Order: sequence, then structure tokens, then C-alpha cells
Amino acid sequence: MLTRRIFLRGSAIAIAGAGMAPVWLARAAAAPSNKRRKVLVTIFQRGAADGLNMVVPFSEKRYYDLRPSIGIQAPRAGGGANQAIDLDGHFALHQSLQPFKELWENKMLAIVDAVGSPDPSRSHFDAQDYMESGTPGSKGDGWLNRALPPKQTDSSPLRAVSLGATLPRTLRGDQSAIAVGNLEQFSTPSATASIVEKMYATTADASVGTAGKDAFAAMRMLDSLHDSPTPGGRGPGVFGQGGDLARALQQVGRLIKADAGVEAAFAEVGGWDHHQNEPNQMANGLRQFSAALAAFCKDMGDRMEDIVIVTMSEFGRTARENGNNGTDHGHGSVMFVIGGQVKGGKVYGEWPGLEEEQLYEKRDLAVTTDFREVLSEVVAGQFGTTDLGRVFPGFKAGAPLGLLKTGPQAALL
Amino acid sequence: MPDAKITRWLLAAAAVLGAQGATPGGNSPASFEAKLTPDQKIEQALNRMTFGARPGDLDEVRKIGLEKWIELQLHPERIPENKALDGRLEPLETLRLDSAEIYKQYFPRYPAAMLMMDRPMNLNELLGAELMRKVLNGTAEQRLAALKSLDPDKRTLAVSMLPDTVVEDLPELKKERDAARQKRNMDRVAEQRRLHPALRDLLSDDQVAIVTRGTTEERAALLASLDPDKRDKALFAFPPNALAGMPEWRRASAMMRFPQEVVLDDLREAKLFRAILSNRQLQEVLADFWFNHFNVYEGKGQPDRVMLASYERDAIRPHVLGKFKDLLLAVTRHPAMLYYLDNWESMGSDIFDVGPFAPGQFGPVQALSRMAHGLNENFGRELLELHTLGVNGGYTQQDVIAVARCFTGWTIRLPNQKPEFAYASFMHDADEKTVLGRKIAAGGGESDGLQVIDILARHPSTAHFVATKLARRFVADDPPPALVDMLARVFLKTDGDLRAVMEALFTSREFNSQGAWLAKVKSPLEMVASAARAVDADVADTYTLAQNVTEMGEPLYQKESPNGFKDSADTWLSTASVTARIRFAEALAEGKIPGVKVDFSHYAAKDRVEIARAILGREPAASTWNAMISGPAGDNMTAVETATLMLSSPDFQRR
Repeated sequence: MLTRRIFLRGSAIAIAGAGMAPVWLARAAAAPSNKRRKVLVTIFQRGAADGLNMVVPFSEKRYYDLRPSIGIQAPRAGGGANQAIDLDGHFALHQSLQPFKELWENKMLAIVDAVGSPDPSRSHFDAQDYMESGTPGSKGDGWLNRALPPKQTDSSPLRAVSLGATLPRTLRGDQSAIAVGNLEQFSTPSATASIVEKMYATTADASVGTAGKDAFAAMRMLDSLHDSPTPGGRGPGVFGQGGDLARALQQVGRLIKADAGVEAAFAEVGGWDHHQNEPNQMANGLRQFSAALAAFCKDMGDRMEDIVIVTMSEFGRTARENGNNGTDHGHGSVMFVIGGQVKGGKVYGEWPGLEEEQLYEKRDLAVTTDFREVLSEVVAGQFGTTDLGRVFPGFKAGAPLGLLKTGPQAALL
Repeated sequence: MPDAKITRWLLAAAAVLGAQGATPGGNSPASFEAKLTPDQKIEQALNRMTFGARPGDLDEVRKIGLEKWIELQLHPERIPENKALDGRLEPLETLRLDSAEIYKQYFPRYPAAMLMMDRPMNLNELLGAELMRKVLNGTAEQRLAALKSLDPDKRTLAVSMLPDTVVEDLPELKKERDAARQKRNMDRVAEQRRLHPALRDLLSDDQVAIVTRGTTEERAALLASLDPDKRDKALFAFPPNALAGMPEWRRASAMMRFPQEVVLDDLREAKLFRAILSNRQLQEVLADFWFNHFNVYEGKGQPDRVMLASYERDAIRPHVLGKFKDLLLAVTRHPAMLYYLDNWESMGSDIFDVGPFAPGQFGPVQALSRMAHGLNENFGRELLELHTLGVNGGYTQQDVIAVARCFTGWTIRLPNQKPEFAYASFMHDADEKTVLGRKIAAGGGESDGLQVIDILARHPSTAHFVATKLARRFVADDPPPALVDMLARVFLKTDGDLRAVMEALFTSREFNSQGAWLAKVKSPLEMVASAARAVDADVADTYTLAQNVTEMGEPLYQKESPNGFKDSADTWLSTASVTARIRFAEALAEGKIPGVKVDFSHYAAKDRVEIARAILGREPAASTWNAMISGPAGDNMTAVETATLMLSSPDFQRR
């Protein structure tokens, strides 16, 4: 495995040539090697993923009354492999989430059900903005940016990374955060680079300048990684089955394994807005989704002790199926929390039930756990953040769910 | 003597330092009161109403007069179109075909790429339903017994197709499956190699090297040197990127392999050609704006890929300077939108409550359970939220449902063959509805939807929402409220006359103010088109340019969600996008983009100060000058380097 010291030594030489070695890098090169960091990986399922068909309340007859065509068949004792995965006699994972089975059995996967935002919006775009801001009802910078620990002298320019060409709201804010479309393409152009770098470093145009400065800092760092053998090789490896999300997570994995100083990573996966033909689309989507996450865990190996993955979607879908074998915009959904320090193998959250009067506005799964409860715990656990009011202004966390083995929240239990 | 040259540079830089320079992006309310100089007003019009100024545009507008030029852009039919553009669009045939023809010619049942192998048999066909069920869902013993009952050949084939879930608890079977799978794949590869040889089996090593590393000219010469049969085989094996810069060959190759791809390529390439070459620039800017406002995603399904050409051509383009209501109606009735937002299969909830269709005790009858049989809210919600009122426009969940009910029956005749709008009365929910407090009487049929369009097109929230989006695109990310209010008033007063709204916008105080000056970060499409225009590039192929736009964060026709791209700095600015922009600038200036030629010979007589100014269309910021002067190339900077630097500069990212 490539160590931090080795690639930094290589990069220091490369940078001396370019004449622009950033101070942090020179310091980091002298720092003790192999400083492994806690990493929080955030996955956004855009389009309002149907929590009720990801984590199926199969013991409730009412579920099948509401979803006569698209309901997921209950697991049968001793049945074949291609069926829902019984978790606890009440909930089952969708059959296409097979790759999660092992994580569940190893107690690395926790599920929070009936989770979501207290805001009533059924607009994808408002609800995504609210969730990414961490402030239901108002839009601003991203919660993950605020959650980053204060910058240290050895903080890396790659400490907050998003995979994709644009920077998601979740990571926008005061702290530098970079977007990477593709690590292979993310390298400095040739001859005129230092002049362009200076243009962006000195411009009075704050927003363009910031993006440029962050880009050059990241490029220098990545150039040094390119000089090193690629951790895990260049092929898809274990990431072959998970589509775009897998490709994104593979790149996150490469950065983490190279000790590039990643603390927060973001990736997204769309295509969950299943107003019609949900069974087929959901099966395909979940197969890739779970394959990507499971591949990442496998790729990270024992580093998963330092990593927590948390997934979210802007809201859930109607409890009742619609007229086109799909579902319309709803309310409560599901979050998955995965990691070595996660107290997995358990479905967290209070189950609100599916009877007419138990549904939110008589149509959707109610929200019994605020998504900020979940995020507060993982932020506190991973970053040691004590001032959660700064990350989620106006939010007062209730009794902790106890999702992690470590962290202040666990200490409170 | 170099010293004299450097002195001249420094003097130029000092002059720039002393010149006025509004800080980009910083627009206080007062700044929207501060006027632009007459020349700045022309530059502003060119920056906002076109995809970027070409060399000489400024002089031309000066000559015609700004008012007259704006008037012309508002009446594109009075501007003779660029002949070169017509020539570039000519081969992009799908732009002119109706959807039925596109189905016929570009979506063959078996494209050559699939014909090369036996039609893949699926497990279900091989086993039949009964065995299939046992193999997929049975216990380990049942699964093994079911497979044992097959004759050996059939068994080998069936085993090779078993999914992981069937073999994971049976290691022996898994081993057999993996071996069978490997053999089958090898057989397939061999057959494929025979029918469609790989490049290395077809060409010499030197020739393969030209394909992978040669220039466009070398590749073209190679293709021309092959005899026709061999050339077809080679074209089949060429990676599409190796055919960039050779649009005819690329098309021929795609038509053999995956003709469906051509449809999307045509749209993207046309978008770039029009943005770069059209004389009717405002029309093109607006076609892009309104397509994005009424976004449809090509990947929703095959029908949307087929129908997108017609959607842009027939529903969007004719109305961009017409009445908003006509645009809204054309979009709503177009099969591409009906398909994208699922309205085509939405129907009254009780349509199938009768006779043999009626649901059983526990839900829809088997025959119907996989078919559409009720309401779908998707279109109703997005019509209100994204197309007309805006998310805070004052509607409720009940309005969403009522609007969805009004549009039941607006569907598509023959969506997979010859798609066209159809009103299917049997799908319509005929009961009374209430939309935004207005009663829609029972029995209105198709007119329910027309009434909703009428209500929405005249609604003050729609006027405000449309005005906000136009002001954001043309003035500033956070447009001044007074401007939005004024535009909304014009919208309501003129019954949604978009030409009148645009004219009011371009002549407004705010548009022509310091607050709007350089307030916008270019979108990726604007960045690529404006760069090509600034250096007056000779563009014969836009395939690679379209890829550049995608890398910068704007995959054309591939925005999955119906809100389109938000046109604001926080969308377009990221480390990835800045990196892609700088890489693109270098490739363009160095002539490394296939199909795009840049001729800098006319810069020979100019010094770098003039070159830089010509490319940017204005004075660069002092910091940009200083960085250029202090660079390692010092005084020996070439025209290519100067162009690279200007196109890469922070200055060029704004308009």
C-alpha cells in the first residue's frame, strides 16, 4: 500500500519544479506518515427514493393493501435467494439490495426508517436544497461544509471532495471544497499554468478566484498522486457492478487509500423519481446502489473503521401506489448508515404505522426522526464536533439514537 | 530591444490599473442605477444577447446603431441566416425528420452491432415459466433437481446464465456456472472477432498507431487509403472519439453500430453550431433558455430520445419570441413532454372500476396490475412548480391533484411508432375540479386542460416567475426586484408577449447598469461558444466541443430532472469546471480540438496587448495583465500563448 510519506516525497520534487509548493504540503511532508483520518462519506439519492420499497414493512398487511401491484413480496422461510431479505421479522430489504446483506450481518449497516425533513414541501428541488443546507424551510450553504473541523496547518486541499462536475450545495460554504469530474482528467495544463494560477490567485473576482485557487491547490496534490502507482490498480476491480456511483466511489477510495487527506466526500445518484414502472426501475437502481456501496466497503477494508457512509434522499413517496405502477411525492423515507464504528444490524427510529390516520396528510409515511438527528450523530462521531448548533442552526437534537460506537453521542447513553 | 517592449507592456498594465473596473459579481442595489458608457452598452448587449462577440461585432453594432441592432435581434426573420450554418446543419438529418421517420431510420430492430451475435437467449425462454420459478426461487435441492432435468447442452447454457443469487449457496454449481459463462463469452468474442475484426487484426501496427495517436488529418488519410470493404470494417472498429473532426465518417460508423446515438449527437452538434455560427443570436440564446425552462431528458426512455428533435423544433423554437401561452400549450401537448412527465399514462382513478376490469377484493385484477390504471401527479406538479407559478406561486397539494385530473386523457397516439398528441376521452376524469379556487365544470373533456393552461398563462405568479428567470439569465443571478416587477407588469399587460418582455428587459435601466456589468458567470455552453467566436474559429465539427461542455458541467439534453440547469454562478463554478475550462482554452488555442481550426496569422501584425483585448472584447483586469507580464515566457509570448491565457483568464469566464 502506498503511504503518505512516499507520495508526498515524490510530489515535493514535482512541485519544486513547478515553483509553487503550497505551504501546507511542505509541512505535511515533514509530518508523521500514515496519518489516517476520519472520513464522512455522504451519498444523496436524488429524486425522492421510495423508502417503503427499500426497507419493506412486510409484516404489515396494510402495506400490501396500499401497494397491491408494486408491493415487495414478503420473504419466505427457506425460500430461494431472489427475494427480500428478512431483517427482523418486521422489515426486509428489497431483494435487489443483496450486497447489503453481508454488511447487515457484520453489523456495519444501520437503517433509520421513517426519517426525513419536518418541512412539508413535496418539491424535489426545494426539499433537496433544504436537506443539503441542513436547514428545513430555508436555503443556504451546506451542512457538510459547516461540519468540517477547523482547518489545520496540515489540512489537505482535498479534505472536502465531491465527485461530479458541479459542487453540490451540501459542500458549498466558507471552507474550500473541490469538485472532481474525473481524477484522471484533473491535472494541470502545461506551459502557461503558473501564469493562469497567478491570475486566479490575484483576481478581485472573489467567486471565480476561489474556484480557481482551490482548483490549482487540488491539481498540484492530484498531480503528485498521478505520479504514484494507483492504489487498487486502474481497472474497475470490485467496482464493476455499481454504475456511475461506483465509479465515483472508486475515485473517493483512491484518494482515501493514498492518504490524500480526505475528511468529507460527497457523491450522488439520480433516477429515483419513480412515478411509473417502479418495480423494474427500482430493482435496477437498488442493484447498482448497493453494489457500489458494498464495493466501496470491500475496497476500503479495515479502513472502514475510520469511515462512516450516510445516505439520504429529499423525501419519500406516497404510501399508496399511484395509477401507473409508481408512487408520487411523499414524506418520510430511509437513511442507511454504514461503517466499522456503526452499531449496525438494527433498524432505528420509531415506526409510525401505515393506517390512514397514521399517515402524514393521510397519504405518506410520517417522519418520526429528523434527518438532522442522524447527521448530528455522525458529524459528532466522525469530527468530534461539539457545537452542533453551528452545523444545524436552530435544531435541538433529541435523545440520541446511538448509531455509533464512539463519539460524544455514545458517551451520553 | 526587449526593454522597450517590456516598458510598453508595463505602461499598458498601468493604464489598465488606472482604468475603471467594476468588481465583477459585486452588485449593490445602487449599482443598478449607475449607467454604462455608450460602448459598454454595446458590449453588454453583445455579451447577453449573443453567445459572445466575434472580432468586428462591436464595430458592426456601432455602425448599425444599438437600438436598430436590438430591434433586428428581436425579429430574427429579418436577419439573413449565415450560409455557413446551413451547410453545417445539412448533414444533421434527424433535425428535420418527424418522429415516425426517426423511428424507422435510426431505431432499427436489430442494429448491426447486435446482429453480430446470436440473439441472446434469456433464461425464461430456455426454461419455461415452471422451471424458471424453481430455479430462481426454489430451495437448493429444488434448484439442483430442476437443472438436472435438462439435457446437457441446454443445461450448460442455462447454468451459464444463472444469477449470483441462485448459485451463491452452492459452490459446485457456482464453479460450473463460472466455467460455462467463461466459455460462452470466449465463443462470443471469437464470433464477434470474425464478423467484426478488431483494428489490430485489420490494420498494420503503424496504422493502428495513427488511429490511437495520430492527428485528424492522418486518420482521414488512412481511411481514404483503404478499399471500401476494409474501410467499412475499420469504421466499425474505430472508437467514436478517433472519428472526431470527421463528421461524415463518424456518422457512417455510428449508423453501422448504434444509429440511435446519432439522434442525440445531431441535437448536441446542432446546438453548438447554431450558438457559434447563427446570425440570429438572440433566437438561439432564447431557444436554449426555453428548452432549459421546459426541460425534457433524452434518457427518460427511447420515445424521448426519438421525439426531442421535434420537441425543440416544433414546440420550443417557433414561440421563443411569441406568446407565452402558445409556448406553454405547444410544450404541454408535445408527446415528448407528455412522455417525460408521465402524463401520457395518467388517467381517472375509477376508469377501470367497471365490468371485467374492476379491481378484485385485494386490488387491480392481474391483467391490469402491470398497466396504467389511475392518476399520476408528476406532470401536474411540475407544470405548476417549474413551468408556470413557481414553487412559491400559491398552490397546494390539492391543486396539484386537480391539475393532474384536468390533464387526464392528454396522451400519445402510437408512442413507439408514430407519436403524436391524442386526447383519449376514455382516460379522462370527467368530474368537476377546483384549480386555484376556480371551478372547472364537470364534463369539460379536453377543454379542462386548455382551461388550466389559460388560467396559468395569465396568472400573476407566472408573470413573476418567468420575469425572474429571464432577469436572472440576462441581468444578474439575483436580479433587482424592481426590474422583475416591471417585466412581470409588461408580461401581464401584453398577455404574455415574450418579444415585448424581452424588449423591456434590454432597454431597462438595470440591464444597462454597472450592477449588471460582468455580473454573470458564463455557462459551459456560453464558455465554449464564446471562445470559438472570440478567436473566429473555423468550426467543421462540434462533436468534441459538445464533450467539452459536458466536462464543464452542462451535459446538453441530459439533465435528468425537470428543473433544468440553474443559471447562476454557484451552479457553474467549481474546481472541476474551472479545470475543464482551462484545459479547453489551451486545446482550442493550440488547435488541438478536432474539427476546429484557429488561424492566428492575422494576429501576426498585432502585439499581445491588442491580441488580448481582441479576444476578451474589453480591457482585462489589472491582476490578469500583471500575471501575464510576470510569467516565465516574459516578453517572448506567442499569439497562441496569449490566446490560451486570455481564454483561461478569470475575466473570460464572465459575460
